[in-house]
Amino acid sequence: MSNPAAQIIPPEESQPPGSSDPALTPSTSRVSSPAPLRQSQAPNSLLQDALRRLKRDKLAIAGLVIIVLFVIAAVFAPLLAPYDPTAQKILLRRQPPSRLHWMGLDEVGRDIFSRLIYGARISLQIGLLSVTLAIVIGSMLGAIAGFVGGWLDDLIMRLMDILLAFPGLLLAIAVVSILGPGLMNMMYAIAFVSIPAYARIMRASVLSVKEQEFVVAARAVGVPTMRILWREILPNSFTPVLVAGTLGIATAILDAAGLSFLGLGARPPTPEWGSMLGEGRGSVFTAPHIVIFPGLAIMLNVLGFNLLGDGLRDALDPRLRM
Amino acid sequence: MTRYIIQRLLLLIPVLLGISLVTFGMLRLIPGDPARIMLGEHATAESIARFRESMGLDDPIPVQYVRYLGRLVRGDLGRSIARQEWVTVELAQRLPATIELSLGAMLIASIFGISAGVVAAYKHNSLFDLGTMVGALIGVSVPVFWLGLMLSYVFGFKLHWLPPSARLTVGIQLQTIPAAYNIHLTGGLGSVAMSILNFLSNLYVFDSIVTGNPDALIDSLKHLVLPSVALSTIPMSIIARITRSSLLEVLGMDYIRTARAKGQHERVVLMVHAMKNALLPITTVLGLQFGTLLAGAILTETIFSWPGMGRLVVERILARDYPTVQGAVLVIAVLFVLLNLVVDISYAYLDPRIRYG
Repeated sequence: MSNPAAQIIPPEESQPPGSSDPALTPSTSRVSSPAPLRQSQAPNSLLQDALRRLKRDKLAIAGLVIIVLFVIAAVFAPLLAPYDPTAQKILLRRQPPSRLHWMGLDEVGRDIFSRLIYGARISLQIGLLSVTLAIVIGSMLGAIAGFVGGWLDDLIMRLMDILLAFPGLLLAIAVVSILGPGLMNMMYAIAFVSIPAYARIMRASVLSVKEQEFVVAARAVGVPTMRILWREILPNSFTPVLVAGTLGIATAILDAAGLSFLGLGARPPTPEWGSMLGEGRGSVFTAPHIVIFPGLAIMLNVLGFNLLGDGLRDALDPRLRM
Repeated sequence: MTRYIIQRLLLLIPVLLGISLVTFGMLRLIPGDPARIMLGEHATAESIARFRESMGLDDPIPVQYVRYLGRLVRGDLGRSIARQEWVTVELAQRLPATIELSLGAMLIASIFGISAGVVAAYKHNSLFDLGTMVGALIGVSVPVFWLGLMLSYVFGFKLHWLPPSARLTVGIQLQTIPAAYNIHLTGGLGSVAMSILNFLSNLYVFDSIVTGNPDALIDSLKHLVLPSVALSTIPMSIIARITRSSLLEVLGMDYIRTARAKGQHERVVLMVHAMKNALLPITTVLGLQFGTLLAGAILTETIFSWPGMGRLVVERILARDYPTVQGAVLVIAVLFVLLNLVVDISYAYLDPRIRYG
């Protein structure tokens, strides 16, 4: 099989002189030297290949390191946070960063650093849970649509089209306005709006896998349909969903922060990053540190998932490379 | 081509019906009595009964839906509860602000996104390329509302370069187009024309140009800069990435090598030969991003006190003014779908393979 990714790479001679700075080569190596897909090796070699590509991708590793740091912060929050995230020192409110309070105190005198650490729990939970929920429902719908086909396929996919007719955040806002504001409802809303994307990806993936020889072979030897779906088709269709899911966590965290910022998600005094921004908004001109740090936390966390997601996509499926 | 457009328009009908079903369902899915929720805890049983009667909430759901559709076809979105104003009137006042903001953001995003993408592709693997790609990744990771706050703090509050919020400085007068030119139209068509003129007058930049008001023009442009920049980051990053990858792909093709071998000037190769084909995916992304801007505007407008559709939705959700929320969601979704349709059609126009594929 020829490697379509190679077509994206322009010939070396097109590179203008002076741009071959050796210091740059490692970080851009995933662009310049894609490993070819090898299909003639042992069964798990594709995965090993992908892992090797991922390990070489410095940006993806950077993303992974960022995510691991946030996970550590979330898991060990009680040990790492110097203060109680909801304890208020009213007299010291809006105090700028100092040696005792690294990121200062917020508008009611809570330690921002401690709140950010506890906030990592909420952001990661929302990101992971909403994406998992969306993937489970979306992939199921997409797999059924792709596998069964016919009117069921039409019905499911037209429903998904209708949901896709709404800009994601707007639909999430509409769902929250129906369910009522709150952390869990926000999570459901974010999961709900991402279902169509996973359904589409899964359907497309199932459609292509369904026609491959090993599925035809399984059918020919009389393997029951459900078993073919579970054992043959789904595991082989999951890669694109996994990539979309990693990038989806980034979007989910961003959307959750936006909804909480608008007052539709986490309620005070929950140390959610978006609602920290929303509550501290009024202090932006007098005590900007209240707003700066939560924003940086959101950005860094989202960046981590975007970097890893990009890297995963390049490693798992070089054809999708951007 | 005409057949393709008709086909696409027909496919629009089920989607539009679906959208109407969703916005209709919004109100009915709220747990509890929507009348009580909208009128508040202190409403009397009498006023609730009257409200249910006037909204037709006591009829069977299918009857309610058909009546809702009938009203939609006539352009009737109901009355807002918070303002006691026709929803269409409120939307007509707010939509131009969002359009102006989206156009501003799109302009910034396309100019900088495409240029950065072109240079990054041309100087593939250079420091600029790496910087653009890392910058684009940061761009899609930045929370728009946070960036907006930071921009308004730095450029509005600290440096005083640009106004930190609102659309126009208090005291700057802006006449509507009909008022400036003394236009009074009556009758069926006349009133439609008047509504269109009033709608256009709410595009402040356009209005200040048409009415010849340089002060208002400069002022409204100044107010437009920060929110547009904030809103443009995500589409700009995506456009830069797509431009780069699409151009890289084209630059690797044989006909480019031929053009170079013929001794064509590099600039001609890049801008004429390569860009022509690289533009296809860029056009799609441009159109799709324009649609998502409508959603991004929700957060940006809230930060910059920009009186557009997004801010309206947020305000009215918190005020439980469901008719307005329904109307705004419907209009945004329909605009989103129409924009995507325009993109698809222009794509088919640019690339004949799609029409006959």
